[in-house]
Amino acid sequence: MAGGPAIEVRGLRKRFRIYHQRNQTLKQTLVSRGRGDYEEFWAVRDISLTVDPGSTLGIIGANGSGKSTLLKCIAGILTPDAGSVRVRGRLAALLEIGSGFHPEYSGRENIYLNGALLGLPRRYIQSVYDEIVAFSELGRFIDNPVKTYSSGQYMRLGFSVAVHLDPDVLLIDEVLAVGDQSFQRRCLDRIDQLKAQGRTIVFVSHGLGAVRDLCDSALWMDHGEARAAGPTERVVGEYVAAVNAQEAARLEQEMSSSPPLPGGRAGVGITELSYVGRDGPTALFETGDPFELRIAYTAPGPLQGARFYVSFVREDGVVALTVPTDDRLLRDQVLPSRGVVRLAIPRLPLLEGLFRVTVGIAEIATGEWYTLLDRIHPFRVSPGEREERGVALLGQHWTLPEPVSRWLSA
Amino acid sequence: MATKEFLAGPSAAGPARVPPSGAFARNRELLAELVRRDVKARYRGSALGVLWTLLNPILFMTVYTVVFSVLLGAVYPGGVPAAAYILTGLLVWNFFSQAVSFATSSVLSNSGLVRKVAFPWVLLTVSAVTAALVNYVISLVLLIPIYLIFHLPLALPVVLLPVLVLIPYVLALGVGLLLAAGNVFFRDLEHLVQVGLLVWLYLTPIVYPPTLVAAHDHGLGGHVFSLFFKFNPMTWVVRSMENVVTRGIWPAHWHGLVYSAAVALVLLGCGIVVFQRARRRFAEEV
Repeated sequence: MAGGPAIEVRGLRKRFRIYHQRNQTLKQTLVSRGRGDYEEFWAVRDISLTVDPGSTLGIIGANGSGKSTLLKCIAGILTPDAGSVRVRGRLAALLEIGSGFHPEYSGRENIYLNGALLGLPRRYIQSVYDEIVAFSELGRFIDNPVKTYSSGQYMRLGFSVAVHLDPDVLLIDEVLAVGDQSFQRRCLDRIDQLKAQGRTIVFVSHGLGAVRDLCDSALWMDHGEARAAGPTERVVGEYVAAVNAQEAARLEQEMSSSPPLPGGRAGVGITELSYVGRDGPTALFETGDPFELRIAYTAPGPLQGARFYVSFVREDGVVALTVPTDDRLLRDQVLPSRGVVRLAIPRLPLLEGLFRVTVGIAEIATGEWYTLLDRIHPFRVSPGEREERGVALLGQHWTLPEPVSRWLSA
Repeated sequence: MATKEFLAGPSAAGPARVPPSGAFARNRELLAELVRRDVKARYRGSALGVLWTLLNPILFMTVYTVVFSVLLGAVYPGGVPAAAYILTGLLVWNFFSQAVSFATSSVLSNSGLVRKVAFPWVLLTVSAVTAALVNYVISLVLLIPIYLIFHLPLALPVVLLPVLVLIPYVLALGVGLLLAAGNVFFRDLEHLVQVGLLVWLYLTPIVYPPTLVAAHDHGLGGHVFSLFFKFNPMTWVVRSMENVVTRGIWPAHWHGLVYSAAVALVLLGCGIVVFQRARRRFAEEV
């Protein structure tokens, strides 16, 4: 393996045909005397890259940007239309966990079949068979046909074989997207371990965190072309900036074109919602930014004894905060028939995610809603330079023991 | 894939080290796994399992014997009992037609693998044909009771049996590779192959004696049929098989057998070339 990059791709292009009407039956073929109308579509255009032995490359980009096609070309599954691919060393590609499992086969039989498909000698599989079974945590289920497995069991079995692959060059495509947290953790640990052993890894992922953690360099693909390539931090940063800009435009578009808010009971309703950041109205915030939610309401006359209610809900359903106004203050308070209620957060503690608000106005006396708007008006929080992950900052800080002076300890 | 270098790299810690092995050894092992899978898949879920491999030719032998020998009064060469003659031919034919039809769908029916796993996909077709061979070898057991019941002569020419098994194997592989590749692009092929195999069965002297063709070699239809009959490589495989197995004599038509072997090899060559060219677009077409 001495000398030269582990992977060398030169001017790679791959074209797909998109059939308008697929002529896959002989009759159609005979009738139209050809393979029917198709459009050519360049999935990968002119990509060149080199990966040095022992380094890790992350490929990022939107869906349909050609990441997987590029990976399949490197794996030798797809044949490029132009350009060359050179791989030095034993290559293994994990494009899908458990592909090649035979449903009627027991877990045991599938270990051997899957191992053979991935290029492992039978004698070697025999020698690590017990390890594979132990890793899969399948226990006595190992002798049942895999069609009876739960998807979790299926995944664990596939991964257990895969971790014993021991290749020089490993290609991984989104496999981490499936499986539970602990499974993903184990995948990442195993990749870390392979990395420490000096294996070369190419990693296609939507999980920018994983790419940041694992990869020495990154390639950002956009419509089949390399938009940026280089050190991970820089490429991921540029990618995030572009995605955010796009998202901001989309969110603003959505806000300006969203239908008028529905009226409420007894003529009390919300007429407009808006977010205000450091520089005015926006839908894009960074953790720590000033944040204000403005709720414009209307009522047929002076509004007495009303409760305002706001809830921040993340895309995955996690409620970050639910906050009503104080009934003791508002019970006897009379508000004008039109007005704007503001909820201000001086330094937004929310961490990365897409959030929506649930906003309502209720009658304090009866507890009945005048109006309740469920999860509307998305806004995006991006982490900026922050390292914290989770839902929100908790005002945390570290305390370390007094540092020891170097000359004292010597 | 074949052009990739497979070298075992140095490994530090890690679970265990995969020992270095050549591409050939690994492909042989993979083929063994695939054949095992294909053979097992056929019997799993059926109550009689492997018995069907034996039962099927017996049932067909019975039907054909009644129709051709009892009802139509066909007489088979060398005074061989109709049942013995027909069964021998049927075993060869079953193997060949099974091999060809399984081979035809071998790539398409494994689309999940072809799309996601890089390995020499040609092994899928080789495996389909080899699985049919395994069935064939098992079904040859049926010849034992036939020998006992009809007191057939067991003589030296039976040593040719491996060659007579190998020729249709190579032929089926050649035809199978062409059809497997073609089927990825034209999926009607699978159905056409079934019809084609039925026609081919009747172009081969399996259920009727070869003398029948000579007796009817007049008129345009007779000539054409006779021509197809003679250029059909399976004709000579089956006739040699009859000679060796049911009559215990050396094949009477050496030239035919050599011709069959030559056709088989040429088709295998074409099959490999076409398959390897078509392979480049398999992953996007399956």
